[in-house]
Amino acid sequence: MASALVRRARGSAAAAPALWAAARGIASVGSDIVSAAPGVSLQKARSWDEGVATKFSTTPLKDIFHGKKVVIFGLPGAYTGVCSQAHVPSYKNNIDKLKEKGIDSVICVSINDPYVLNGWAEKLQAKDAIEFYGDFDGSFHKNLDLEIDLSAALLGHRSHRWSAFVDNGKIKALNVEKAPSEFKVSGAEVILDQI
Amino acid sequence: MAPIGVGDTLPDGQLGWFDADDKLQQVSIHGLAAGKKVVLFGVPGAFTPTCSNQHVPGFVNQAEQLKAKGVDEILLVSVNDPFVMKAWAKTYPENKHVKFLADGLGTYTKALGLELDLSEKGLGIRSRRFALLADNLKVTVANIEEGGQFTISGAEEILKAL
Repeated sequence: MASALVRRARGSAAAAPALWAAARGIASVGSDIVSAAPGVSLQKARSWDEGVATKFSTTPLKDIFHGKKVVIFGLPGAYTGVCSQAHVPSYKNNIDKLKEKGIDSVICVSINDPYVLNGWAEKLQAKDAIEFYGDFDGSFHKNLDLEIDLSAALLGHRSHRWSAFVDNGKIKALNVEKAPSEFKVSGAEVILDQI
Repeated sequence: MAPIGVGDTLPDGQLGWFDADDKLQQVSIHGLAAGKKVVLFGVPGAFTPTCSNQHVPGFVNQAEQLKAKGVDEILLVSVNDPFVMKAWAKTYPENKHVKFLADGLGTYTKALGLELDLSEKGLGIRSRRFALLADNLKVTVANIEEGGQFTISGAEEILKAL
């Protein structure tokens, strides 16, 4: 089974990149992102007051993906190095190019609560360009097999660093870094060529 | 685990902390509290209103008075990762004494018996709002809130008890 191969491959430091990339589990090019994570919803980044006002409502995946061209990227954690200094800025600075190519929304998702995410998005002044969603219980990333255990860094279960181009729910391109500290394939420049 | 109370011994635990030189450390509660008078207070979440606007400022602003009454350490614990705690601490530039400690996986909060399920608000398992005073690891004051209130867990109540 593909996922068993992925688990073995992840365990060894010298895992064959091609095998690893091919056996990505459930999230892969051609699959439907909404069906891959049934019943999953995300929490839009917001202040607590906004949460109260919307009765802490969640956003089902189909509302985000159906009928839209979406570029979505995931990262290990708000307020951490590569995420703050390279990953988010890459999308913020390329937003015009992405919109020119017909992208309806650019989404950033991470396993953080929506309030921390909101504070971070405001600090990065990125809320105009990017929509931030919290996968607060990790179910979105678990379903897509994009979860990684960063307990050693006191972060717990988090997301890999990744990006995808999703057209009406179908994954057209998927890029996952080999290690969360790397930032080679999951930036805006790479995905602009894949749209 | 029953919630910690007066007369109990403060359990040991490892928490994450970015120190004054911005290095990520794992600190032990017993290491910080043995042989000392410490205030340990907990909040449900960084960047949430009552925590940010009332609970934490109370301890930041009354830290000198607490120290004058013999408190050696003022420790803040929340179920957040150390990066988030560091960023949150930076929003209090006037803070000199409160240490913002990260109980990233909630282990210490569970050891205190003070966990609270806030999943429906998108927060997951967090800590109840509380403030404890411990003297050489013996808990002498335990003010634990019900729900999201902020009535007895502030700095004033601890000051009154000292």
